[in-house]
Amino acid sequence: MLMESRLKSECKPEEKMVGEGVAFERVRRITGYLVGTLDRFNNAKRAEEHDRVKHA
Amino acid sequence: MPACIVKRDGTSVPFDSVKILNAISKANKAVGGEDMSPTDLLFVTEKVCRKLDEKGLKHVEEIQDVVEDTLIQYDYARTAKAYILYRAEHTKIRNAESYLMDIYKKLTYSPAIEEDIKRENANIDGDTAMGTMLKYGSEGAKYFTDNYILPKDASAAHANGDIHIHDKDFYMLTETCCQIDLIPLFRNGFSTGHGFLREPNSIESYSALACIAIQANQNEMHGGQSVPHFDYAMAGGIIKTYRKEYERAFVAFARIKGGMDAEQADRFFRGIRVALGEGVRMGSVDDYGRRMLDIVAAEDRELVADAHAYAAEEALKATERRTYQAMEAFIHNLNTMNSRAGAQVPFSSVNYGTDTSLEGRMVIRNLLLATQAGLGNGETSIFPVQIFKVKEGVNYSEGDPNYDLFRLAMETSAMRLFPNFSFIDAPFNLQYYDGSYNSEVAYMGCRTRVLGNVHDSSREVTCGRGNLSFTSINLPRLGIEAHGDIPRFFTLLDAQIDLVFRQLLHRFKIQCAKKVRNYPFLMGNGIWLDSDKLDWDDTVEEVLKHGTLTVGFIGLAETLVALTGKHHGESEESQKLGLEIIGHMRRRADEEARLTGLNFSLIATPAEGLSGRFVKLDRARYGSIPGVTDREYYTNSFHVPVYFPIRAFRKIDIEAPYHAMTNAGHITYVELDGDTCKNLEAFEAIIRYMHDRGVGYGSINHPLDRDPVCGYVGVLNDVCPRCGRREGEAVSEEKLRELRRKYPHMPTCHCR
Repeated sequence: MLMESRLKSECKPEEKMVGEGVAFERVRRITGYLVGTLDRFNNAKRAEEHDRVKHA
Repeated sequence: MPACIVKRDGTSVPFDSVKILNAISKANKAVGGEDMSPTDLLFVTEKVCRKLDEKGLKHVEEIQDVVEDTLIQYDYARTAKAYILYRAEHTKIRNAESYLMDIYKKLTYSPAIEEDIKRENANIDGDTAMGTMLKYGSEGAKYFTDNYILPKDASAAHANGDIHIHDKDFYMLTETCCQIDLIPLFRNGFSTGHGFLREPNSIESYSALACIAIQANQNEMHGGQSVPHFDYAMAGGIIKTYRKEYERAFVAFARIKGGMDAEQADRFFRGIRVALGEGVRMGSVDDYGRRMLDIVAAEDRELVADAHAYAAEEALKATERRTYQAMEAFIHNLNTMNSRAGAQVPFSSVNYGTDTSLEGRMVIRNLLLATQAGLGNGETSIFPVQIFKVKEGVNYSEGDPNYDLFRLAMETSAMRLFPNFSFIDAPFNLQYYDGSYNSEVAYMGCRTRVLGNVHDSSREVTCGRGNLSFTSINLPRLGIEAHGDIPRFFTLLDAQIDLVFRQLLHRFKIQCAKKVRNYPFLMGNGIWLDSDKLDWDDTVEEVLKHGTLTVGFIGLAETLVALTGKHHGESEESQKLGLEIIGHMRRRADEEARLTGLNFSLIATPAEGLSGRFVKLDRARYGSIPGVTDREYYTNSFHVPVYFPIRAFRKIDIEAPYHAMTNAGHITYVELDGDTCKNLEAFEAIIRYMHDRGVGYGSINHPLDRDPVCGYVGVLNDVCPRCGRREGEAVSEEKLRELRRKYPHMPTCHCR
């Protein structure tokens, strides 16, 4: 019995991790259409999105 | 005279002065009023040969330089110019192969993240096989159009960045977009070329067929597709669904409580229905019940009354549920179905908000609720672009029949960025309004607007029409070139407008030569206005005249800075000049429309790829000018620059008057932060202000982020407020399990 419980604690599987390298999704409106991720924006539109200031 | 000349590929061939003489002669014949006699030709050739000897030149490019110099030296300036053009033309043709092949190499070997050319259009995945195939075709077609189709001056003006001919790859092929009237299409059934679809009979089929119609049309045009009255169009499906659900429940009740068998119950119900002469409607169901009692035998009255009450309740519940599912499917389909060789989801837009029937309201409510719920993992749906039509007396004010839906629309937009809002009460939209859906303004997702019609003033309608093509003018460049001289600016502008009108007509002629058979869906099924009157082999010339030919512009803000030092957000004077400029462009479009009987019009260009292209060319030409060429983009159309701090109401004040001028489309954005936007009163105040100031189409932008790992939707700065991870970091499965207890609808992360 003693043997078994030691084995258990020693061999506790390493905690599984999720999401390594997964980026946040950022939906933005361009021209009128929405775009699901900034990755697909062309360089100019990325720059424009970056410069936007709030109006309130 | 050199014994031999060195060609471009390095090989040598014997020198032949006759070739020089012939080239000069050809150039001379190409221009009028500078005729050279054979003696003149010999004289110039002789001079060229002597110079070559003196300088010991024998490379073909050097020889051509000497020919140019000599022609100019002996006052044959126009011949020299023709010679230079001829030479440039041939250089271009020689460069063709290497130019195209360079592009193909980029498309083939570089990932989209590195190559801007693969990200021109954010809704095409340039990394996929079909996305790349589409780009091969597109780049080849542009080349063909530039070099073999376009008038030389238009081609040069596009290449050097004076103007931008949008969708140039489709120059020889089709038109931009169409506002589809689904109601007659469904009534008659339709064919996509591989089998016929009968009239749909349930809300599920209505929504499925709507997707198919959008997709089929998208494959025949180069822009987007819209349904201008989605509520009215889907309501028919709900009427049918409700009727069937009512009948089903009534019959079930009669079987269970009235002790009838299936056939008896069916016959019993059918007898009543035939006697009443019409099917039941949601809005008059109580009345229907009363009329039933009047016609049935006394001993059946109790059963009928109970069956009716049960059926009315069940039918409403079932129809509501089925409508939600149909709207959910509609959104899912439009985000997942592909068009154009599988490389692109259709650019779809749906307008709605004004149908006050119970059925129409059910469509709107469920579409909004399904939009709030998002896609399978709670993602925000990118398509369709949704546009809620705001109208006084219909949905604008408390007490209006659809005011509750206007509120729900704003709540949805604050959560999901859609719907946008269009304003029928803006004077330039209201002038066409007669209460019918076909007189209500609709907008395409990109902002295109088609309503007025100089070709046929009895058809100033929304359905079955769209834009044919549009070309934008580089306004900031004209601002720079004018050097502060305003009259000069307008002279330069007029020259560009003339060129664009000519080019639009050139393209229109090509479009007109197409036949119905080139558009089996759009024209073959009668979707485009009046195309139902044409035969398969008729040209589409007459019916295309219902469409719009449109001139656009970009960078009013930078133009004003170039001219006056200030943009219209920071100076009243600049605003006045801005209105003069855009007003002038509109007048020119109106004049051209009157002259030609064609729908020339002015758009505040959406400009996705264009936003960076013009400024890049202008910075190379003029250097970095503060407030003009010093950013990576020109400001969209008439917008106040995105970087300029300004209050929402003030921004709307400044931009609203441009909406009245840009009859082919416009949009105004207000940017809010995540928290303000959750305040529905603040949100409503801004939308109402847009309405009151005469904005045609507007929407509120706010950051909308999502963590795919835990499904959190909202604003994400560095750390996800739900699962606590930083972008790119991992979290433990245990933590996610814990969170799932708290958020049962949390998606399972399918991330790698």
